[in-house]
Amino acid sequence: MLVLQRGYSVPENVSMFAAGAAAVGLVYPALMAHTGGQGLPCPLRTLTGVPCPFCGMTTATVAITHGDWRAAAAANPLVYLIAALLVCTAPVLVARAAGRAPAPRPWSDAARRRTGWAMGCLVALSWLFQLHRFGFL
Amino acid sequence: MNYANWGQRAGAFLIDYAPIIAGWFVLFILDLIIRSAAFALILWLLFSLGSLGWWIYNRAITMGNTGQSLGKRVVGIKLVSEATGQPIGAGMAFVRDLAHIVDSIICYVGWLFPLWDAKAQTLADKIMTTVVVPA
Repeated sequence: MLVLQRGYSVPENVSMFAAGAAAVGLVYPALMAHTGGQGLPCPLRTLTGVPCPFCGMTTATVAITHGDWRAAAAANPLVYLIAALLVCTAPVLVARAAGRAPAPRPWSDAARRRTGWAMGCLVALSWLFQLHRFGFL
Repeated sequence: MNYANWGQRAGAFLIDYAPIIAGWFVLFILDLIIRSAAFALILWLLFSLGSLGWWIYNRAITMGNTGQSLGKRVVGIKLVSEATGQPIGAGMAFVRDLAHIVDSIICYVGWLFPLWDAKAQTLADKIMTTVVVPA
C-alpha cells in the first residue's frame, strides 16, 4: 500500500524534484562555465561505454529549460514526459501550498502494479533509444 | 508504517558529506598558499584517509549501531531493518553504502527512488531490506 510522504502524492513528489532540476538546468551552463566543471557523467557509460536509460537527462534538462526542444528530444525524450507531468501537477502543488487541495488518496495495489509496468516499459524504450543514440543499435 | 521522505534523506546525506566538502576546501586553500607538490601529496593522502575514517565512523559504525548518522540525527530520521525495526549493525551499514553503487550506476537515478517508492527505499535499501523512518 502506498504510504504518503508528508501529504504529497507521488506525481507531486516527482514534479517538485523536476522543478528543482529545471531551476538547476537554467543556471547549469553558466555554473559549468564559471567552475570549469564537466557535469555528472553516467558511471555505467564511463566504466563500460554502455549508456543507461537515463543518459542525456542533464543535456535534455538544460536544453528544454532553454527552449531548445529539438536538442532535448535528441538527448533524452523522457524529459518531455517529466515536463508534462510538472505542467499538469503544478496547479495541484499551488493548491496544496495554499492549503486548498484535499489529502491525496492512496492508489490501489493493482493501479500501482499497472503504473510500475508502464514505467518499466518506458524505461526499457528509453534504454533502446540511448543504445541507438550511442551507436549500439 | 511511516517513512522518511526524500527531502529529509537528501538533507541528511548532505550533512554527512559536509565535513568532507569542508575538508576539501581547506585542502584547496592550503594548496594555493603552500605550492609544493610533495606537501600537496601528503595533504591529499591525509584528506583521503580522514574522509574514509569519517565515513566509516559516521555512516558505518554510528549509523549501523544507533540507526543515525550525524545527518540523520540532525534531520530526525533513522535507518532500520525492515524486518526487525532495529538498527542493522556496523557491518551491514558498511555493505549498504557499498550497495549504493547500484543507485549511482544508472545515472544516479537509484538515489531518487524514495520520491516514488511505496516504502521510500533506494535500490540499496531494497538490496539490504532496510527502511529509513522518522526517529
